Amino acid sequence: MKKKIYFTLFSFVFLFPIFFLLPQSFAWNWRWPQMVPDTFQLRAWNALFQEPRLIEALLVTILIGIVVVVVNLVLGFLSGKGLSHHQFKGKTIIEMILMAPILVPSLAIALGLHVTFIKIGLANHWLGVVLVHLVPTLPYTIRIFRSGYDRLGKRILEQGMTLGVSKWKIFCSIELPLLLPTIRSAVMLTFIISLSQYALTAIIGGGTVVTLAMIYYPFFQSSNPTVLASFSFVFFLLPILFLLLFEVGVKLLKKWAG
Amino acid sequence: MKLFNQSNSFRLTVFLLPSVAITLLLTGYGILYALSNSLQNDGIGAYASVVGHTMFQSSLVFSLKVTSISTGVSLLLGILVAKIIYSYFKTSSLKLVIWVPMLIPHFVAAYLVLILLSQSGLFSSAFFHLGIISDRMQFPILVFDQAGVGIIVTYVWKSIPFVVLMLLPVFYEIDRRFVQVVQTLGGGQFEVFKMVEWPWLFPVLIEVGLILFAFIIAAFEVPYLLGVTDPKMISVLAYQWFYTGDWSFRSMSMALMILLTLFILLFSVVIFQITKKRRFIMMKGRM
Repeated sequence: MKKKIYFTLFSFVFLFPIFFLLPQSFAWNWRWPQMVPDTFQLRAWNALFQEPRLIEALLVTILIGIVVVVVNLVLGFLSGKGLSHHQFKGKTIIEMILMAPILVPSLAIALGLHVTFIKIGLANHWLGVVLVHLVPTLPYTIRIFRSGYDRLGKRILEQGMTLGVSKWKIFCSIELPLLLPTIRSAVMLTFIISLSQYALTAIIGGGTVVTLAMIYYPFFQSSNPTVLASFSFVFFLLPILFLLLFEVGVKLLKKWAG
Repeated sequence: MKLFNQSNSFRLTVFLLPSVAITLLLTGYGILYALSNSLQNDGIGAYASVVGHTMFQSSLVFSLKVTSISTGVSLLLGILVAKIIYSYFKTSSLKLVIWVPMLIPHFVAAYLVLILLSQSGLFSSAFFHLGIISDRMQFPILVFDQAGVGIIVTYVWKSIPFVVLMLLPVFYEIDRRFVQVVQTLGGGQFEVFKMVEWPWLFPVLIEVGLILFAFIIAAFEVPYLLGVTDPKMISVLAYQWFYTGDWSFRSMSMALMILLTLFILLFSVVIFQITKKRRFIMMKGRM
């Protein structure tokens, strides 16, 4: 009984606001104090897709997201293993450096990088945006991979080594499959954080790199709330689609590896 | 032995150098450049102009208020939700509901707060039908308000799942035999929490609290959308100063962000020092 009450409460607080976006996005003329709008229509969705830069922004957002995710995964594997399976002098300092971006305001970093990025041609370019998106993502990825490698332990890898299996094979047949939950959380978190960046993208992208967030902000200030509801729902769907894509990729990879 | 050490340090370099280099090049370089830029125009004068600016003073008070309330409430509700999930949804996949807010960006959460809690929002309509208010103007101003309620609600809503995510493994880790000890000795729910769960939660709470504090006090995305013109959150003020096109304001913008960075780092060190002994005893108790 209590379980049902709590579940209802949690659904109301955490799920309902997001799914409320759907009726809102179809209700063009929803006036206070109506609890249910007069009509449901597709106008907002049409208006959203008539925004000329939307499709391009969608592609740019996904491209930047994928590159940020891939770089994070490579660095996560390396430093997660380095921190988890090795003891060495100065480890605390290395850990502090790697975790520093969590405490240092990313806006301060972006403002500081701005001029230098202009000088070396990274500003107004998607590559610069990818780099600056590493600031809020990498510390979390490293943390996730570190605890992943902590749980995996050293022994199982040593077993492979005593059997004389190559490092690459150990990686593919032990680390990759056993760290799948770790990889999945890192992929999702990184993609969502990259998707959520407005200030960093605006400063380094300089208005030339148009991601979805770059369109969302002007919409927020000027556009019809119904259009913004449909736009917001797109932001909810994107990570889910990305996760599905990831799962399909994993399945295919497993099949291909036999 | 020497050879072994060398190959080991070589491997460590391969593992850690890329991440360390990228972090230093982005975070380290960015901060140092911001620091030198803040001093470029007027030396230390930029800092004096920032501290003396009325916008800075109101913005500092406002940011501290919004941040501490958001962090405190998120931690409190996070503990509560984590405990409920541990007690009732231990093995149930229904608890997935909690994680859903983590899927959407902060600025979308800000929009949800706007359509639900503004004077013409859904709750206002519901209150009208319930007969609590007769006009939308009677609904309290919760968004675009001077006190930052809309910003706080957004951060709390987005932060609770994160707090639960960090605390839930701790609940699973707790040795339940201690709970039995407390109960045999006649302790109730509160004693169980105080004597058994709190010591385990405390070190993680400090860490999560610091992460949230540092994130919210430097936040830009939500207050830029839901804030009022005055008082502004610190990052919004810095962003605005940066783009005024006036060089002295650009230095001040950098100086403001450097001050904020120093404040966060100092705050973290102080919190870590104060709680060091307690955290250490608790960690030791776990072994």
